[in-house]
Parts: sequence; structure tokens; C-alpha cells
Amino acid sequence: MPELGRAALIVCLGLAVYAVAAGGYAAWRRRERLAESAENAVLASFAAALVAGAVLLIALIENDFSFVYVYEHTSIELPRAYTISAFWGGQEGSLLLWLLILTGFSAVAVLLGRRSSHSLLAWTVPVLGGVIVFFSLLLVAVASPFATQAAQADGQGLNPSLQNPYMLVHPPMLYLGFVGLTIPFAFAMGALLARRGDELWVVVTRRWTLVAWTFLGFGQLLGAHWAYVEVGWGGYFAWDPVENAALMPWLAATAFLHSVMIQEKRGMLKIWNVLLVVGAFALALFGTFLTRSGILSSIHSFTEGSIGSWFLGFIGLVLACSAALIVSRLPLLRSKTRLESPISREATFLYNNLLLVAFCLTILWGVIYPILTEALRGEPVTVGPPYYNFFLNAFGLPLLVLMGIGPLIAWRRASLRGLGRTFMWPLGIALATGVALLALGAGSSLPGLIGYTFCAFVLASIGLEFTRGTRARHALSGGSWLGAFAELVGRNRRRYGGYVVHASIVLLAIGVIGSSAYDTTREQRLRTGQSLAVGDYTLTYRGATQERGANAMEIRALVDVERGGERLGTMQPGKNNYFAEQQVSNEAAIRSDRSSGEDLFLIAEQIGRDQVFLKVLVKPLVNLIWIAGFVFLAGALIALWPDAREQRRLALRYGGREALSRA
Amino acid sequence: MARRASPARLVVALGVAAMLAVFLVYTAIAGGTPQLRPSELNGRTGEVALIGKVVGRVDGDARGSGLRFRLRDVEGTAAVPVVYRGSVPDLFRSGRDISLRGELQNGTFVGKPGTLVTKCPSKYTDKKNT
Repeated sequence: MPELGRAALIVCLGLAVYAVAAGGYAAWRRRERLAESAENAVLASFAAALVAGAVLLIALIENDFSFVYVYEHTSIELPRAYTISAFWGGQEGSLLLWLLILTGFSAVAVLLGRRSSHSLLAWTVPVLGGVIVFFSLLLVAVASPFATQAAQADGQGLNPSLQNPYMLVHPPMLYLGFVGLTIPFAFAMGALLARRGDELWVVVTRRWTLVAWTFLGFGQLLGAHWAYVEVGWGGYFAWDPVENAALMPWLAATAFLHSVMIQEKRGMLKIWNVLLVVGAFALALFGTFLTRSGILSSIHSFTEGSIGSWFLGFIGLVLACSAALIVSRLPLLRSKTRLESPISREATFLYNNLLLVAFCLTILWGVIYPILTEALRGEPVTVGPPYYNFFLNAFGLPLLVLMGIGPLIAWRRASLRGLGRTFMWPLGIALATGVALLALGAGSSLPGLIGYTFCAFVLASIGLEFTRGTRARHALSGGSWLGAFAELVGRNRRRYGGYVVHASIVLLAIGVIGSSAYDTTREQRLRTGQSLAVGDYTLTYRGATQERGANAMEIRALVDVERGGERLGTMQPGKNNYFAEQQVSNEAAIRSDRSSGEDLFLIAEQIGRDQVFLKVLVKPLVNLIWIAGFVFLAGALIALWPDAREQRRLALRYGGREALSRA
Repeated sequence: MARRASPARLVVALGVAAMLAVFLVYTAIAGGTPQLRPSELNGRTGEVALIGKVVGRVDGDARGSGLRFRLRDVEGTAAVPVVYRGSVPDLFRSGRDISLRGELQNGTFVGKPGTLVTKCPSKYTDKKNT
């Protein structure tokens, strides 16, 4: 069996090398038959990767401990679901998952490209092949998941913190996002190699970027929820390098999604878009490198990791090749039009892009700062959450405002008087909200107050945009208001889906601001019967229980909760002592208030029969963050939904038959 | 290609300049925390992040007089006594690699509450290295 896996990977590598060599030659010499065979090699590489994946999956399921990978990441008593999730629990397996998704996406891109954008495909295939070569080479030569050993009786098991339902879906989602960014990159490079200066690559890859971006975004929120519920320190995001690794490509992709609209509509920002797509792809590689190279566990093992230098080398190669290609094609990328006014829709998009990229770069700077300072000063210096939070405020708050301005401001050139008329309502609502919040005592946090005022502004402008559109549609076609609304969204899925995503970001902001700027934390040792007042809540310690669970001793503190004289129930924060792993895990207790979105979060330490050390966090509005995740998903789906009208429009624009049927 | 300077370029240039300025101001004021191993601590003052392996017995009470243990270089023998009060991560115990912020006072490294972080033993890392 391991031989089959190894052979499949070698075949995959060979096919990818062929796709690069034959595909490149065919594109250069315009050999159609050869180009087609290179495309087929990409399709076949997916089949080879599938075989390799199946071999590993079967070995995991059958607990075949003659596989080093299976031995190191599973054990006999590990539940079946986690045995499967061990596929991406370690370095080799997750690289195989990368390859599997990469070849799968490439195959789909080739099949779709044959129908819609064949002229672009010729040079795209060798680029895709190049990326596949890298990953299959890593798996063949450096980090093989099919290394074998003398069969062992039992494996070493999976880290308890990975034994969690979230870990079944969260990593694959991020991988789908990371890998998905390869496709827009490959098409962009393919277009440049083919000396095309038009927007076809942007149009063809729009959905790919959206899909990758949606997976990345939703995957991160899942990770945040996991951290909040399971890790139990009371937060959901800690600016950990692993978290930043996923956030950076997402920010770059967000900038890209916005700036391509400018290229599509006005033929501007061509170089910028290519740079963004290269940046997003390089950051996705960098993210994989950060999470999978082990560099995080110790900065000092940076040069020791075998896989790390490969990744850095490949990222360097990608950046160098892309830069050389962009420079050599600069004349093609000149804009046809120019920005006419700093107050226009285009300009707002540009500001949005600058802020997103700046934020992304500051995060990157923070992540690599220890490495840079160690190289320069001989001693690593780290930056902590204050650094990131500072820039989240500095760049995030203006971004929030732009989200309210962008959708309403006119294209090309907006007059100041027109602006006043357009923004009268949103501004009025924002001001009223700000004053009302101040009266309610929200002035305790200035960034919080500003943030909420901005949120009101954005929500008002989104609401206004929906109302105006619905009213116009209603006037045009009559019928019910609801029908007019549905028709409005259905006819402009991309635009209104985007607004729904904006609304989700506002919800997220409200949740984040509420839970970080207006939270309350108390820590105190309580004796049995003693009470503690936190916010409106009164907590009383009632003693401890101890129960023997399936694989852990479960110790719980019993805490009665009251609010305004009303008894809300008993919460049971505690600890689990895992027998086999000899590990303690914190089991926080969370009580969510459905009507206000507020959480009461309890962490119990040093639980004894007559006393406990209790940490209490009251986090207002935190549940909006999780709701935002679903709104985000809904908006992304609306924007992604196939649109026949749009297809026809694009067919007309990009040379109809040339672009949309096989050349 | 001779062109008049477009507002786009001006906007980009101003934007980049403004961000750089913000950035420089921030790094000048706040700076970062140096990351050291116990062997590098040697008489150093000011706040640092200490990285090392917990060795020997862990005594005391993190919520009372303080948790006491020794922290050694992950690869090496130099060690320093540590006292820490505050929340302790689940994974903390003797033998684990940790990071802790604080400063050296009279030969003992005094940790800042809430800054004790255990390096997750296998999350995303290569097992052979740990």
C-alpha cells in the first residue's frame, strides 16, 4: 500500500512536470494538440493525487501503524472522526491535502476554462503545473506521508486540543481558501505570459477569488468560535501568528475583490490588481509555511526545519518570476483611463485598497518582526496585541467609514453638494446614534463610541441603498414590495450580495467592539455560599462536584447566577483531567443571553469543596460575531450565485464567441 | 510615456506617506518586547519575554503567593528561578516550553500576570523537534 501512495505521488509529479514543459512549449509555439495534452496532464494529476489521498485515508482508518504518519497522529481508541481528521493533523498529511485540493481546483479550472476562456488557458496550465510540481516534489522528496516503519501495536494519539468537532472542518476550510487563491494567480500569470492586457482573467477568476475568500473568511470565524468555546480564556482572537497567517491573505483578497471592480468598470488599476493577486497567493503560501513549518514553536528552529527553507525558496521564486513578468509586460498594463477626482467611487475603492493593504502589511511586519530583529540585532523582538490593536483601530475605523461612503458615492466625479444630499440621512442617523450612545454611557471607550457611530453610518447607508433600489424597482414593475426587493437583489446579485457582506462586517464590528471595549472582568476567590457581583449579575458559589467521565475526571464548580433578583440557573465551569494524555483542560461555562447577545463567561480555577478561584467575564454583544458569520456566508452566496444575464453581458463584451466558445 | 501627474498617484503617494508616518510614530513610542533565553538574561533590566523549558518541581500557588519554578534554555543548561501570579494555561507543567513576560528582580524573574503562554506541544509543529 505505501508503495502505491508513493508511486501515485511520483506520477503526479511527472504529470505536473509534463504540464509545465509541454504546456509551455505548446503555448509558445501555439501547438493546440500539445496544449490539450498538457491540460489532460493536469486532469490526470488530480486522479494521481486522489489515489495518494485514498491510500493515506485507508491507512488511517485501518490504523495501519506501519505508516509513520498514522503512528504519530492516531491511536486505536481515537474516535473514527478524529482518525480521519488526523489526515490534516500533521505536516505531511496537510501537504497532501494541499496537493489534493490544488489538483482538484486546477482540474475544475481547466474543464471550465475549456468552455469559457480557452484562449487564456494555454499559458495558465503551465503555471498551475508549476505550483503542482512544487507540492508534489515536497511530498515525494522532503515530507512523505508514506514513510514506513516496523508495525507498532498502538499509535501516539492525536493532541487533545485537535480532538474537537471544529477541527474537522476548520482546517480544511482554510486550506480550501489558501489553495483557491492559486487559480486567480495562475490565470493572471497566464494572461501576462500570453501578452493579454485585457480584463478577461479578472472576469474568469472572479468566482474563484470569491470562493477562496469565503472559505478563508468563514474558516477563520469557525476558528475564532473554537478558541472562544474550547480554549476558554475568554477571547476569540489573539493575534497569534497562526491566526494572522490566515488573516493576511484574506485581507489581500478582500482588497483584490474590490479593486477588480475598478478594472472591470473603468480599465484602471491593472498593475495593482496583478500585484494584489500575486500578493494574496504568496501570503497563502506564507500562511501554509507558518502553520506547517514549525517556525512558530521556536523562532530558533527557523533554519533547521527541512520544509521551511523549501517554502521560503518557492515563495521567493514565485515573487521573483511574477515581478520579472510584470515588469516585462508593463506597457500592456497601462490604464486606459485615469482617476478623475479624489471624491468618487473609484477613489473610495482606492482608499479602501490602500487601507486593507496597509493593514495586511503591518500584520506581516508584526509576524516577521522577531525574525528580522534577530537577523539584525541578534535578539528577536516580538510585538504583541497592543501593536495589532493599534493598527486595527488606525486602519479599521476608516475602512468602516469607507464601507458607508463607497456604495453611495457617484462614479468618476462627485460634487460636494451632491455628497451633502446623498449622505444627509446616514450622517444624521450616525450622529443621532452617537449622541444616544453617549447618553447611555458608551463614552467610557472612545474607540468604541467612534466605532459604533461609524457602524450606524454604514448600516444606514446600506439600508438607504436597499430602500432606494426597491422603491425604484417597485415604481418600474409594480407588484408587491417584497417582490420588488427580491427582484432587485436577483438582478444585481453581485452588488447586493456585497452589501449583505458589508452588513455582516458591521455586525462583526459591533460584536468585536462590544466584547472588547465594553466588557467587564472580575477575578476573585469565593468561599461556599459567598457571592460576587459583576455587572448586573450576582454569582454565588455552591460547592464542587467530581465525576468520572469516559476518558477524564470532570471537576465542576457549581455557581448560581442571579440577575435583578431573578434566578437564571446554575453554571458549571471546571476542569477535565484526561487520564491517558495526563493533561488538564479548562472547561469554561458560557451563558448566552438571547435577547441582548451578551455572554456571561466563567472560568474556575483551584476548585475545592469550600472555595474556588473564579474569573468572570461579561461580554456584551459577542454573539453578533457568530451571527455575522452566517450573514457573511449568505452575502457571499448571493454574490456567487450563477447569473445568466451577467454571462451574456460578458460574452458580448469579451468578443463573444472567441472568449466563450472553444477557440 | 509622458503624462501629467494624475490625482491617483498623488493620492497613493500621500496615502503611503501618511501610513508610514503613523507607523514610524508607533514603533518609536511603543516598540516591542525582546525575546530572550534564560542564558541571555544575565543582569538585564526592563521587560522581556523569556522563552524556556520548565524544569524540576513546580511549587506554590498562582493565585496566592505565586507559582515558583525554574526555567531553563530549551537547548542548554542555564536556568533562572521564576515566580508568577495569574492565570495558568492548561498545558503548563514541568517539561513544557513556555513564554513569559516580566523582568529580572534580584536574580528572580518576576512574571507579569496573564502573560504565561505554553508552546503547544504538537499543534502544527513537527513532533521530531519537540
